[in-house]
Parts: sequence; structure tokens; C-alpha cells
Amino acid sequence: MPTLVIDDQKVTVDPGTTIIQAAKKLDITIPHYCYHPRLKSVDMCRMCLVEVKDIPKLQTACSTQVRDNMVVFTNNQKVLDARRSVLEFLLINHPLDCPICDKAGECMLQDFYFQFSRHTSKFKEKKQKKHKVVNLGPKIVLDSERCILCARCVRFLKEVVGTEELGIFDRGDHSEIGIYPGRPLENNYQGNLADVCPVGALTAKDFRFACRSWFLCQENSICPGCSTGCNVLVHSSERSYDKTLRRVYRLTPRDNDEVNQSWLCDVGRYGYHFVDDPDRLTAPSLKRGEEYVKVDWDTAFREVAQRLRGIFERYSPSSLGIIPSPQLTNEDLYMVKKFFNETLCITNIDFKLPGWNQGQGDGFLLKADRNPNTMGAELLGLSGIGPQAGEIIEKTRLGEIKALYLVGSDPARYLGEEKIASALSRAQLVVFQGSNYNYACKFAHAILPGATFVEKEGTFTNAQARVQKINQALRPLGESLPDWKIILGLALTMGYYFPYKAAEDIFKDIAREVTGFSGLDYKKVGDKGIKLALSGG
Amino acid sequence: MFIDVAITLLKIAFVFGLVLNIAGILGWAERKQSAVMQDRIGANRADILGLRLFGLFHPIADIVKVITKEDWIPPGGDKFLHTLAPFLALFTALAVFAVIPFGDTLHIAGRDIPLVIADLNVGILFVIAFGSLGIYSVVLAGWSSDNKYSLLGSMRAAAQVISYELALALSVVGVIMAYGSVELDDIARAQGQYVLGIIPYWGVIAQPLGFLIFFAAAMAETKRTPFDLPECESEIIGYFTEYSGFKFLAFWMGEFIEVIAVAGVVTTLYFGGWQVPFIDSQGFFVPGLFTIPLPHLLVVVIQVTAFILKVCFFCWFMLLVRWTLPRFRYDQLMGFGWKFLLPLAFLNVILSGVIFMSFEG
Amino acid sequence: MKIVGHKLSFLENIYLFEIVRGLVITTRHFFYNMFFHIAHLLGYQQDVEAAVTIQYPEQTIPVSKRWRGVHRINTRPDGSPRCVACMLCETVCPVQCIHIVAEEHPDPAIEKYPVSFEVDVTRCCWCGMCEEACPVDAIYMDSGKIPKAGYSRQDLVYDKETLTKEVPLPGYQRSLNPPGAGAPKVNPMGL
Repeated sequence: MPTLVIDDQKVTVDPGTTIIQAAKKLDITIPHYCYHPRLKSVDMCRMCLVEVKDIPKLQTACSTQVRDNMVVFTNNQKVLDARRSVLEFLLINHPLDCPICDKAGECMLQDFYFQFSRHTSKFKEKKQKKHKVVNLGPKIVLDSERCILCARCVRFLKEVVGTEELGIFDRGDHSEIGIYPGRPLENNYQGNLADVCPVGALTAKDFRFACRSWFLCQENSICPGCSTGCNVLVHSSERSYDKTLRRVYRLTPRDNDEVNQSWLCDVGRYGYHFVDDPDRLTAPSLKRGEEYVKVDWDTAFREVAQRLRGIFERYSPSSLGIIPSPQLTNEDLYMVKKFFNETLCITNIDFKLPGWNQGQGDGFLLKADRNPNTMGAELLGLSGIGPQAGEIIEKTRLGEIKALYLVGSDPARYLGEEKIASALSRAQLVVFQGSNYNYACKFAHAILPGATFVEKEGTFTNAQARVQKINQALRPLGESLPDWKIILGLALTMGYYFPYKAAEDIFKDIAREVTGFSGLDYKKVGDKGIKLALSGG
Repeated sequence: MFIDVAITLLKIAFVFGLVLNIAGILGWAERKQSAVMQDRIGANRADILGLRLFGLFHPIADIVKVITKEDWIPPGGDKFLHTLAPFLALFTALAVFAVIPFGDTLHIAGRDIPLVIADLNVGILFVIAFGSLGIYSVVLAGWSSDNKYSLLGSMRAAAQVISYELALALSVVGVIMAYGSVELDDIARAQGQYVLGIIPYWGVIAQPLGFLIFFAAAMAETKRTPFDLPECESEIIGYFTEYSGFKFLAFWMGEFIEVIAVAGVVTTLYFGGWQVPFIDSQGFFVPGLFTIPLPHLLVVVIQVTAFILKVCFFCWFMLLVRWTLPRFRYDQLMGFGWKFLLPLAFLNVILSGVIFMSFEG
Repeated sequence: MKIVGHKLSFLENIYLFEIVRGLVITTRHFFYNMFFHIAHLLGYQQDVEAAVTIQYPEQTIPVSKRWRGVHRINTRPDGSPRCVACMLCETVCPVQCIHIVAEEHPDPAIEKYPVSFEVDVTRCCWCGMCEEACPVDAIYMDSGKIPKAGYSRQDLVYDKETLTKEVPLPGYQRSLNPPGAGAPKVNPMGL
């Protein structure tokens, strides 16, 4: 185990570690461009030069492996001068258009210039003109003038994705990143290129010019796109006095070695748009004749409770069907189970609509099961206590089930509109609770708007049985509420009281009552999640 | 019989037409006069077809605005009393004009027409009584608004008006002593006499101190600066805070009508009423020298005009006072009324009594 | 606390004479001004001012050259706004009265332009920081105008077209860097 000194601090690391990694252990950040912790080092940018005692020339920290008794200086005058010179070189052909560059505010070139260089350009010649606004594919735009040729993008596609669509063409100061003729970027991971690029060369079309980075707030969350449960940062903004600007602007991956490393697939990355979609349900509404009337929560609860009670009194608990969605958090699903199954003794509860996990996986991050909380729903026992969800729909069509309560689920997506229309139009009561409008809403007698994953707190359990936390980034849109609160409110109106104030209280009960979750602590779930110890799992 | 009623109606029309018009113009005059006094120009923006006429259209614009405004009654308020109060304010202010004589008896077509709507024998007592009745509008407005601050404002106003009523009534006692009558027509007529042959025997000559007390107390009765604590348009909440639209206008008009009423009463009691010095029913004369006969109708017209001009002068003067003096503090206001004006009024009564007795003796 | 004042004399203490004194002053002003108002009406004594007020919309007082009025957006030679939608003014604005929506410009050299550029003058505090922040001299406050009243809040949210049409008050225009394709002369990084 080599022990070395970096800036007068001693550190012991594994053999084969590079200086930049050893420095990171000491919380010393060595400026770098081409180095990326998950890619191979190529020493292209020369930004990470450090002085190593007894070596006359400066060494690249990203590729120099540590030796025992090594003495490294990352901040002495020699190193600072070198950094300054490197920055001066990198900026020779740079267009210096930070005000209109989308990366401004999160650009490493900008940051390090202000931190280390602040030089005045000595370059008297004409700047090299290169291609601007080059469409590399459907999602990524290239500005070659801003590119510093660190080749992170090229290496990402080669080492991580393996598709190798990008390359560096031409020589010297004519060098440019580009695609091969007729082969635009088509892979499912190109969104990462904009994250990987340290400067403003590669920008995502989805986010381009939508918002300046400094207006964004970031909140740790989990991608709801599939059962992998990639860790993400939700970038959102409510910056202005104008409420219409409340929006999620993008999702970016968050490091988690156990789940998604530093990457995120495009399906998940661009799948957040439903949050600000115009088809969001914003106010509880009741069907009056053919019209839907917006009402307040109390009225909606009273109406739903009264009609549910009516059906209870006339028939039996078996005349009610509940179809929850594995898109909901553990807390939401637990409330569904606790109230409908354990309190009201309804057994027609199932989330497995036919084809619920029949998406297209790609073997890397994207799973065939496009629901973030299938495992959670399974563990909480929302399947297998009664008929399958398909049968519940069928029974509704036959008139055996009189009332159907949909919690976030979209049966028409799996069963087709005709089947849903014939089943739901038979039911005496259809309650739809969820965030966005779908075909089933057409038949709902009551619509209860739920919050989306960025608007509530909770936990998801991914396919590896890892419990991960989502945090609230935005206030719920309109009057929508987190699903567990809706069920809580409905239960209270029907005369059942559950002492829950926050998602955390529910999680405490989950940890106490549900096998598999036992012994978990909401606080200990943390940013990276905790893997459940499942027996025989 | 019928002709008497017609004549009375005609007099009512004349007096009320005059009073209401002057009240409307006072709204304009208040703005313009304050502006001129303060080196400004004043409201001059309302125009009809580009004609601005020194802002004379502003009262019309105000009325259009006020009438089209929402008439709002506080949900917890008493609807009937809330509506009644402003009209009571208008009524009590207007009723005073019934007994104010605005001219000498008119002899026309063999009839004697006294130029006063109702020549009551209680005269000045009627005026004071209706002045006191005005408190009802204030108290009702404050109470029916269902607003505790309005109620406090109305209590403040009632306390003030009642306090100054004493001094007001006592100062009038001197005038009654001087002319030996409570009938306003008699008082006006008696002021046609001359002291030492050439000085008109006006109330202000007979009762200089009484005039000052009466004028100060009457200003307080009208609730105008420097005695405008009950209203305090912007600073303290007054009794008509919860009024809007036309009812607010009614209070506003009531205040201006009170100003005219005070001007009319002051003119009648202290400034000779309709009397013009050296002009009487015989015509223009210089005492002891000569007389130029004038036709009866001309004399009456001169006298009525003189009365109107005197009233206008006092209106102007009250606006002048309003834009000159700052407002009293409430304790100063009550102190001034009870500790200064009231003893002074008593003193005035005693002094007057002593003087008149000694003159008679 | 030190109270500065003088003891009232007997005459001052009974107020009556002081009240008369005040009335005399106001009456003097009244008649002095009335005399000149009437004289003006008849066409005399025009050089004597009877009022100190200014009839605002018709008459204005000249303002300082550095006075900040309603914003305007400078244009390129082709008439399009110079603004590159960098949102620096929006960022620096202390009252958040500027709201820009950016979009891709067809010309890759310009790249970005404002689809909508709104200034809410009801919120604006006229600090002029947007002028200073602008890297391309697009937003200036040299129109010399005071915002007019409006019948709705939206009337006082000036959009891109309105702001582009504003012209500088003659003689008040701030110096403008040579028009280019939105390229800053003094670039923000000081290079």
C-alpha cells in the first residue's frame, strides 16, 4: 500500500491508483478536462499537470500512478503557471461566447478560467472558424468552436456504449469532432454526451436555450422510467413570479456505483415531460351528467366516500376492484394495501395488468419492466391476493365488480381502448386517481389528481430490491396531492383515521410490518439507497 | 290657499336649488381655492369636447363616477340604518334652510310674501335642534357599518358635536338678548337699526365675542378642519369608512350643505341677514341727509343678492380656514370646547346681560 | 432628547392672533395668485408665474442625460433586435421584471435570439443594472420616457415589439458599440 504526500497531506491508497484519484480522497480537486472517473485516462488536455518531487517535468495527475513516498504539489507556482498556459492554449480558438452558450454556469472551461487564469489573450492572429450548430443526431447539437478536443464523448461511445459513432476528424487546429457520413447518433445513451462534455460543445436539444443553468434547483431523485431505478438529479425552476414557468427542465444522472454508475438512458432522461404536460389533472372533478365539474377536495372525498359506501351496503367488498400502479411509491402502495385490503377487506387488488412488464430492454440500463416500483408492489403484497388485474377488468365487464378504483394505472395502454370502454362503462362507479389524463378517465365518475414523482417524497424499490428515495423538487401542480394523502383523505372521510403526517411515518410502518423491509430506517436510505436482504430472493 | 302652497313650493325650489348648486360648486371651489392658496393650479383635467372651464366639470365627473360605483353595504351591517344615515345627514342639513330668511317681505300683487320658507316663531331653536339631530346620522352610520373603528369614529364625532353644541347655543343667547327674539326674521329685521345713527346694528357689532364663539363652535359642528377628527379622511378611520358610491356622496354633500347652513346662520345672526346698510324699503339713504327712493322689487333683489353674497363670502372664509389651520389633537379639541369656549360663552352671556341691562337702565 | 423651541408669549398663547396671522398669509397668497391668474387669462403679466406646478403630459422638465426611462432594445442593421437572449439582464435584475424566452436562431453565427422579451414596468425599479449587464448593448434605458398608465397589468408588460420600436430621446442616446452579429466588443471574460 503506497503512502504519498499531496500538498503536505499524507494519504495511503491502493497500488495502481492515479494521483488524481488519490487527491480526491483528500478532497483535493485537480482541474481536468479529458479525465473522467469512469473512462480510461488519455492525457489529452494537459490540464491536470502537477509537480512530483524529483521529476523535473510536470506530470499528468490523471495517468501517473502513485508510488510509495511520492511527494506531489498540486498548487505551487510552477503548477499554476502551467495551468494558466494550458488554459491560454485551450482558449485560443474558443469563441468566448459564454453569454449565449448553454453550458455557461456549469462549464469547466469557464470555471477554471476564472479560478486559475484570468489572463488577457495574447493571440493576435485570426481565430480558426469551425462548424457551429451541427446536428449530430436527434438529440445532440455540436458547436465545434467551443470544443477543446478532450475526446470524452468519443471515448464514452467507445468504452461505455460501444457504438463508436463519433470521431475526431482533420488535423491540428482544424481538428473537429464529427459523425461518420450517414451515421447519425442513434443510440439510447446519447443524452449522456451533453453531461460528459466539460465545455459547451455538445448540448442537448431538449434543454438547449430552455433555461440558464443558474436558475435551476437540483433535487436528488430516482428515474421513474424503468425498474432499474437510475439515480438522477431533477433540475427544476420556479424562478419567476410567473407560475407558468414552473417546470422540470431536465434530468441528469447521479453517481451510484451499484445502479447506474454515471449514466442515464435517453428513455428515462427524456421521459419526464409528463410532469408538465398539458394533460395533467390539476383539480378534483366530479361527473355531473356528461360534464366534469371542478370541486374542492372535501366535496370530492365526500362524494366518492358516499358512493363507495353505497356500493358496500348494497353488495359486498368483492364488488369492488382496485388496480394500483407500480409507478407509485412504496408509501402510496402501502396506503392502498392498508386501506382497501386490510381495512375495507377488498381482495380484488392487483397491479399486474396483462403486459405490464413487456417493454423493450437493452441489456444495459433500460429494463423491460418500465415501472420503477414493481418490486415494491410485489413485496407489499399488491398482487396475488385475489384475481389478476386483467380478470378484475373482465369481471367489471361482466358486472360482478360494480366499482373500480384506479390508482395511477392506465389499463387502456395494455388492454386496448375497446376492452376498457366495454368494461368501465358497465361499472356503477369508476374513480380515477392519478397525475395525467388517460383513456380510463373518460369513464371516471370522480377524478382525483395525484402528484408526480418530482412533487412528492417517497421511496421506490428497484429490480435489485434496492430501496431508493425520491425527494420533492416542485410543489404539486394545481391542487394535486401525493397519492397516499388522497387515500388518507378518503379514508378519513369514510371514518378511518391513519396517523400519517409525512411519507416518513408511512415508511416507519412499512419497516415494521412488511417482511423484507424490516429494520429499515427512512433516514438511512440516504441518497444512494439500501439493498433489501431478501431471503431466497 | 292653493296660491299659498304654490308660493311656498316656489320658495322651497328657489332655496334648495340655490343651496344644492352652491354645495356642488363648493366641491370645485374647495379644490381650486386650496390650489390657488398653495400656488398650484388645481383640478382642471375634466373636459367636455375639449372645453375645460377651469375644472368646473369635475363635480359633474365626480357625480358620474360616484353614481356608477358599487353601493356596498357591509355584510354584517344593518341594511336599513346604513342606508338611512346618509339621507338623515342630508335632511338635517337641508332642513335648517327652512327658517333662514333670505330677503325682506315681498309685496307683490297685493300679497305680502315673507322671503323665508317657514317663519317659525322658535326660529333659532329650530336651527340648533336640527344641528343636534345631525348626530343621529353620524352615530347610525358608525353603528350600522359593523366596523368597530367606524363605531369609534362615530363616538368621537358624537362627543365632539355634543360638546360644541353647548357653546354654540350659549353664544346665541347673546344675540337673542340683543334683539329680544328667537325668530330669525325678527333678528334680521332688527339688524336694520343703526348705532350712533350710522353704524349698522349688526350682530357682530352687538356680540363680537359671541360671533367668535359661535363661528368656532359652528365650524366644529360641520366637522371640518381644524375640527375634522370625526372624518380624518386618511389618517384615523371615520364613521363613513364603510360607505361608497352615492351614499358616500350624500355625506360629502351633507358636509357642504352644513357649511352653507352655517354661513347662512352666521349671516343672519351676526351680519345683518339680508340687510344692506343704507338701503331699506324706502330706497338708498344716507342717515340724516337724503333718501333716493328705489322701486320695491329692486330693493328686494339687492337684498336677496346681498344675502347670497354674504353666504358665499362665509363659505369662502370657511374654506380659507380649512386650508390654513392644521387639525386639533383630540384632547386639545375637547379641552378647547369645554375649558375655553364654554366658559367664554357663559362670560359672554353674563357680560351681555350686564351691558344690555345697564343700557336699558 | 433635546427639545428646541421657544416659549409662547401671551398673544401667541391665546391663538386668536396667530390664527389671524395664518389667515392673512393664505389670503395674501390667494389674492396674489388670483390676480395673476385673471391677468394671464386676459393676456397680461405672462412672465409672472402664479403657480409652481407643471402641467405634466403637455409640459415636462428636462431630465439628466443619465436619467433612466423606459427600456428599449437596440436593433441590428436589418431591424431585428440585437438581443442574443443570454438572459444576463434577467439574471441581474433585482426585481425579476425581465422575462425572456430564447430560441434557436436560423443563423448559426447568431445562434440564439429572444422569441419573447418582456419587461414588466410595474415591477421595474429603474436601477439600470440590465443596461450594465448586457454584453451586446441590446437593452438601453435612454428613451427618456416615463411609463404611461395602463388599464390592466398586462398593458404595462412591454413586449419585444414595443421595446424595439422605442427610440432614444434625441441627445440622450448612450454610446453604442459598433453593430455586429451580436458579437460583444468587450467580451464578458475580459479576453
